[in-house]
Amino acid sequence: MKNLTSAEGQNDVAGRAIWLRRDAERIAGSLPPLLAEARQLASFVSSGLHGRRRAGQGEDFWQFRHAIPGDSAAMIDWRRSGRSDAVFVREKEWQAAQTVAIWSDRALSMTYSGGSTPFNKADRANLLGLALAVLLSAAGERISLLNTSADAAKNGELHLQRMAQALAKQSDSNEDYGAAPSGPFAAGSRLVLFSDFLGDCDALETTLAKAANAGVKGCMVQILDESEGTFPFDGRTIFESMTGAIDFETHRARALREAYQQKLSERRAFLRSICQRYGWQFLMHWTNESPRKALLWLYAGIGQYS
Amino acid sequence: MLTIGPFGFLVPWILGALLILPIVWWFLRVTPPRPDRKKFPGVRLLLGLKDEETTPQHTPLLMLLLRLAVLAAAILAFSGPLLNPASREGGTGPLVLLVDGSWAQGADWASVRAALMDDLEAAQRDARPVFLHTMTEKSMAGEAVEFQEPAFWMQYLPGIEPQPWFADRAAFAAWLADQESVSFETHYYSDGLRDSGVEALFEELMRHGSVTYFEPEKTAIGLTQLSLVDGQLSVELIRVQSALQQSLTVQGFGPDPSGNERLLSEIIANFEPGVTSVNVRFDIPAELRNRLSRLQVRGVDSAGTTLVLDASSKRRKVGLIAGVTQQEGQQFVSPLFFLRKALSETTDLVSAPLEDILLATPDVIVMADIGTFSAVERDSLTQWVEQGGHLIRFAGPRLAENSAGVLEDDDLLPVKLRTGGRNIGGAMSWGSPKSMRPFPEQSPFFGLKIPGEVTVTSQVIAQPDANLAARVFAELDDGTPIVTGKSLGNGSVVLFHVTANADWSNLPLSGLFVQMLQRLTATAGAATLSNADLEGLVWLPEKIIDGHGRIVEAAGLGGVAGERLVDFHAGPDAPPGIYNSGKRLIALNLLQNEDALTPMGSVPGGVIVGQFNASSETDLKPFFLIAALSLLLADIFATFWLSGALRRSSGVKAMLLLALIGVMPTRSEAQQDDAAIVAANETVLAYVQTGDAKLDSASYAGLVGLSRILTERTSIEPVEPMAVDIEQDELAFYPFLYWPISEIQKTPSDAAYSKLNAFLRNGGLIFFDTRDANLGASFGATANGKVLQRLAANLDIPPLEPMPPDHVLTRTFYLLQEFPGRWTGSDVWVEASRDSLQVEGAPFRNLNDNVTPVIIGANDWAAAWALDETGLPLFPVGRGIGGERQREIAWRFGVNVIMHVMTGNYKSDQVHVPALLERLGQ
Repeated sequence: MKNLTSAEGQNDVAGRAIWLRRDAERIAGSLPPLLAEARQLASFVSSGLHGRRRAGQGEDFWQFRHAIPGDSAAMIDWRRSGRSDAVFVREKEWQAAQTVAIWSDRALSMTYSGGSTPFNKADRANLLGLALAVLLSAAGERISLLNTSADAAKNGELHLQRMAQALAKQSDSNEDYGAAPSGPFAAGSRLVLFSDFLGDCDALETTLAKAANAGVKGCMVQILDESEGTFPFDGRTIFESMTGAIDFETHRARALREAYQQKLSERRAFLRSICQRYGWQFLMHWTNESPRKALLWLYAGIGQYS
Repeated sequence: MLTIGPFGFLVPWILGALLILPIVWWFLRVTPPRPDRKKFPGVRLLLGLKDEETTPQHTPLLMLLLRLAVLAAAILAFSGPLLNPASREGGTGPLVLLVDGSWAQGADWASVRAALMDDLEAAQRDARPVFLHTMTEKSMAGEAVEFQEPAFWMQYLPGIEPQPWFADRAAFAAWLADQESVSFETHYYSDGLRDSGVEALFEELMRHGSVTYFEPEKTAIGLTQLSLVDGQLSVELIRVQSALQQSLTVQGFGPDPSGNERLLSEIIANFEPGVTSVNVRFDIPAELRNRLSRLQVRGVDSAGTTLVLDASSKRRKVGLIAGVTQQEGQQFVSPLFFLRKALSETTDLVSAPLEDILLATPDVIVMADIGTFSAVERDSLTQWVEQGGHLIRFAGPRLAENSAGVLEDDDLLPVKLRTGGRNIGGAMSWGSPKSMRPFPEQSPFFGLKIPGEVTVTSQVIAQPDANLAARVFAELDDGTPIVTGKSLGNGSVVLFHVTANADWSNLPLSGLFVQMLQRLTATAGAATLSNADLEGLVWLPEKIIDGHGRIVEAAGLGGVAGERLVDFHAGPDAPPGIYNSGKRLIALNLLQNEDALTPMGSVPGGVIVGQFNASSETDLKPFFLIAALSLLLADIFATFWLSGALRRSSGVKAMLLLALIGVMPTRSEAQQDDAAIVAANETVLAYVQTGDAKLDSASYAGLVGLSRILTERTSIEPVEPMAVDIEQDELAFYPFLYWPISEIQKTPSDAAYSKLNAFLRNGGLIFFDTRDANLGASFGATANGKVLQRLAANLDIPPLEPMPPDHVLTRTFYLLQEFPGRWTGSDVWVEASRDSLQVEGAPFRNLNDNVTPVIIGANDWAAAWALDETGLPLFPVGRGIGGERQREIAWRFGVNVIMHVMTGNYKSDQVHVPALLERLGQ
């Protein structure tokens, strides 16, 4: 039996899944389950299995109210009622689970790494996606992983395992840039998109429009490598896309830096603008940054729509 | 060969390749740098951007020049460039190769011979007849000059050696003077020393043709003036006048106790600039000094820097014994006072009881007035004399009273004595004090002048008999012997018939007394030979010094008349070395006391001063090649830098760095030394590195834990444990080695095994731990057990047994009967006790009286001992309280083991406790 938790496990799908899962739980581990946190930080943390601030089905006490005709005798809280002449009913807070769909871009451009960090963009997207899933699952939400074998909205340990396995599987995509999922989306669910968004942007806007139709809102995380921001190239260089389908030759790469960075920020501004238009959240994340920062942001971001 | 200014080219046609440089220039110019291909997802954003600047299409000019320089340097290198090329044009006519061939060329002979060979080869090319002569050979008188083919001399050249004497230039000059009508060119290879004949030699040589004079590369060094000063051996190291500072080592060789010659002492002598002579003193113990047989200057192999030593440079060791114990305040009447005064200058004195003196193996024993010996003393003294000792006895009241030697011959007296002795010229006797007659010829004192004031008032009288006349060394006016002597075995016995103080005669007050004693002590072993001793005898060379300063057996050399050796100067008939005549040995060295080394200085006008070829011509090829290579390296760097690879890829940087600096050694000597110093100064527990990092760190932590426990509980305070690489490290510093067995353990090399065996034999202890609790089967069947068997096959391990309950390890500090580590229950094996002895009433057997060299077990002790830096156990042992108890017992066993290593079987001595208690009356 191979030891999947040792270094050799990295060469194996099952082994990588275990590693990915472990890493994801390592960064999620420092965050308490969502609901426990909610009690302390009730003011702003509210996602997952959270109170709806109105009475309904749930575990937590919400309020006592006077019994009104029509309430069954079983609903009366006799202990409270015994302290006064009136009869009280104990109401619980209404709680409901949400569905969160996560999409992690699996195109070849995500496998790029400039060398300053040991992992590529896809690694980071998978890590953040799964970490979010761990948090949400712990809070009782249902999570689905779009465009993978784990696209059914479920929760629980087994589902997390399955998601981890799906994310750890080597991407079989042979496209340079990924296209955002086109739906259909479950009404009222939440959508989280991880990608570098360097490809065609028109399809993205369509996706967002469709999602808006279904009442789906969400977060968009653009993950870029450091070298994609700083453009540290010089000299005579031929730039190629990951498949080599697109190439571009320059005699003096250094001279292009400003123009490139200009284009990059234009792209970001565009993404921000469509997010704004559809009520989404946008985050720029560099792979050399701490993933916790992004996770915290996502954690807050998902809760915002509740 | 092509010559341009000071440069020459051996293969000039290769220089033609320089013509292709312009073509290369053109090629290089048109080749742009290769573009870099980069995967970059952001390429989509780049599409449509315009280049504002462009990288130059051409190679930069500097790079171009660099590359052309590489090519030019390589072309120049292969064209065989020489700086100051030696002229290779030959001469014509007969050539005389004249060599001094003296001792002063011995150190430099290889280059002289190489130069002669070069000359002969050149002469062969030019078909010149050659005459080769060394001026230390026998004189040419009466012979004609014979020119021969160079090939003829080439055969002889290897056999021509420098000789251990001076060149006889005058004789050769005289011979040349007779050689009319021959003209030749001369190459004169001199030893660089001026003598009286050199002027005439140059004059004669120049009369016959042109002369080229070659100075030696190494100037002459000599050792001379061997003497004993204040008991130290002193020599002068001399050199020719020089403004250089020079540091030389003078070495003294002699036989060691087993008779093999070895280096006994060495002294470094420094010549300050301008100084030609340095005094060197061997301040070494008399035993060593007396063993010195030759002195040599290290690295200078010539007859002048080799001195052979004979007995004259040895100080005798003289034992002094008096019959009466000296009393304080009576120095001047002490029987030994005058003896001490007379002998202390030239000999080493030992005053002690007789048996102690004999242990010091003196050359001479002087006894003042000793009458009787015990039988043991007599036997040992007789034996000592027969083996070559020299006994000098003085008479006195005790000897006079003694009856020994009166009736029968006493071995330890040269003559029979009458009891009582006589008084002459005293108040109660007839006659006047007697003076001495001149010494007879057979006497060792022959030739010494007798001062008139020496008189004798009392003496012991020899009984006249047939042997007496031959044994008299000195006698009084009336013919009574005053000094007698005889030989006994290899040694001799001499009796002064007077006392050693001024009671009986005033002889001890005179200078004659000193001279007589010096003669007697000097002949002990061997004599200091004066010229008079040399004359009239034939001396056979025994060992001679050859021209390279080696001591060789003098095979086939005839005897030399003593007269030749007087005022010795070495020559073909009498080389320097050791000569013998009968038992007497004399060492004759090349340089005499008055010799100084005079440099040749200037040579007469008209003489060409040559230089050895090898030094003048410089081959520039390597320099050009190095230049080409380093330029090439610079070019590689520049190329990488220009293309940006250097700034981007750390891999390329690392590769280039590696190429530049090579691979660093894994472990430096200095580190090893530091570790050795710590290990030697402190108590260090050590473990063997197995190559398994995890296991090694467990061993380390285990020994850290054990060290801490030892420091807390016992007086053993080990410092930080050390890892030992048995292949590289010295083991002698460590008392204890913990060796955990691992399956990846490599079998040590033979050298490591011999180190380990030496470690075991000299009291080291190796604690083998297979760490597997012997789970499996009987001992040796587990995987680690097999590894241990393989490792131990070449170790010198005694028979083993499972630790018996009364083994000393069970009680060196704690009383233990179990030896758990992390596991428990398996046997611990130690050296089997041999000849064990059960003493009545003792709780333990009297077991083997040394430390067991190995302990073998399987309980993984290091894991049980291991503590981390905060002092907490690193590995779980057992369960709960029982486990903690097991860990405690494991520590106790560790303490016992280290105590055993440190104190040996000290605790076994309890075997005597019952006896001690009984004696105490309990």
